[in-house]
Amino acid sequence: MRTNANDPVDAVLAVGLKDLWYPMCPSSFVAERPVSLRRLGRKFVLWREASGVLHALEDHCPHRGAPLSLGIALGDRIACGYHGVQVRADGVVMSVPGSPGCKLEGAKATRSYHVREAAGAIFLYNSSVDITDPPPLNLPTELTDDVHSHFLCYTEWKGDYRYVLDNVMDPMHGTFLHKQSHSMAEGDSTAAFRVRETDTGFVFEKEGQRGVNFDWTEWADTGLHWMRLEIPYPKTGGPGGNFIIIGSYTPISENVSAVFHWRCRKVDGWQRDTWRFLYQNRLEARHWAVLEQDRAILEMMEPDANQREMLYQHDMGIVRLRRHLRNLAKAQLEAGAEKAA
Amino acid sequence: MMQELYLNPHQARRRQPTAYEDLLGDSIERAYAAGVHDLAGLVAHLNRTGPNCPAGGVWTEDSYRAEIARLAAEC
Repeated sequence: MRTNANDPVDAVLAVGLKDLWYPMCPSSFVAERPVSLRRLGRKFVLWREASGVLHALEDHCPHRGAPLSLGIALGDRIACGYHGVQVRADGVVMSVPGSPGCKLEGAKATRSYHVREAAGAIFLYNSSVDITDPPPLNLPTELTDDVHSHFLCYTEWKGDYRYVLDNVMDPMHGTFLHKQSHSMAEGDSTAAFRVRETDTGFVFEKEGQRGVNFDWTEWADTGLHWMRLEIPYPKTGGPGGNFIIIGSYTPISENVSAVFHWRCRKVDGWQRDTWRFLYQNRLEARHWAVLEQDRAILEMMEPDANQREMLYQHDMGIVRLRRHLRNLAKAQLEAGAEKAA
Repeated sequence: MMQELYLNPHQARRRQPTAYEDLLGDSIERAYAAGVHDLAGLVAHLNRTGPNCPAGGVWTEDSYRAEIARLAAEC
């Protein structure tokens, strides 16, 4: 997506809104050895203590800016590989071996970030300033209750994360792009849509068609931006109702996105185990093929495709979501300006 | 330099499926496709079409529950 350099609102959105939780990577990506992740307009270093406790700092040594991720994790701190400067997980420099007693020691000199693990992923609070206590991470019920079962599918796509948001806020592409897929062969190819408000966002849905194809998308803001949709399984999917997808998307860099989809189903007992077995044995590959159809289109879109669009009624959800995000970005800029004044 | 992007089509399963697991998956899907969505019907379908229950020939509701729980956790 072409970001207009002269538009500060666009610049805010390009790197992701601040003061929100974002999924960073699957839990399995981070062990005791520090890992560098480029996300949200900067680089983070993540590592675990032997007990499993997770930490995140900006991947930037306060001394000369070397990546801390190339250093050595020592429990709750990292010793920079360049000059041995030790930075604790709260960003305080604990030791400068080359110059003991220098004023860098004891200074809070590196940005530190709060992280949480849930639903197989690591989430980071993208705070605008260092804070002691982040707000709670509120995930949709499908990822937290016992009556749903889920699998995380994580992918990295070329293209701006806002094109991924647009794609999910566009149920009608299911009828065309995914027509030959295992679960989206049904449904009318024309439809009227409407927007319905919810407590946490809005639903963009087809009028008079539900439970047939990809018929609606929900946008929600619970301190984390996420989307929800349902796709009816064919009879081969067995008992358990619709296939539910929770999506959340994080910018990696200008034209790369971290794409998180949790595939969920309301199942328990033998139905749950059978769905999980079939998912591992075969359904995951089929869902993957559908997701690849999206990736093929999105990655081939020109970065400035959004500058030359002719939208119609089916794109009302996209228009609504873009406006909503721009308003949030404007509010963020205004709050920043007030603080600076 | 851009790191290679993460694109792994198999993130849920722990290993390649065995021939038996593939046959079982085929059989369950055929039962489901025929509208058999209850456990008694599924067990009867497996006993009619196979594969055999690895624990001892004939599927029962209990042996199916135990076997599918094992497979869901191990596959």
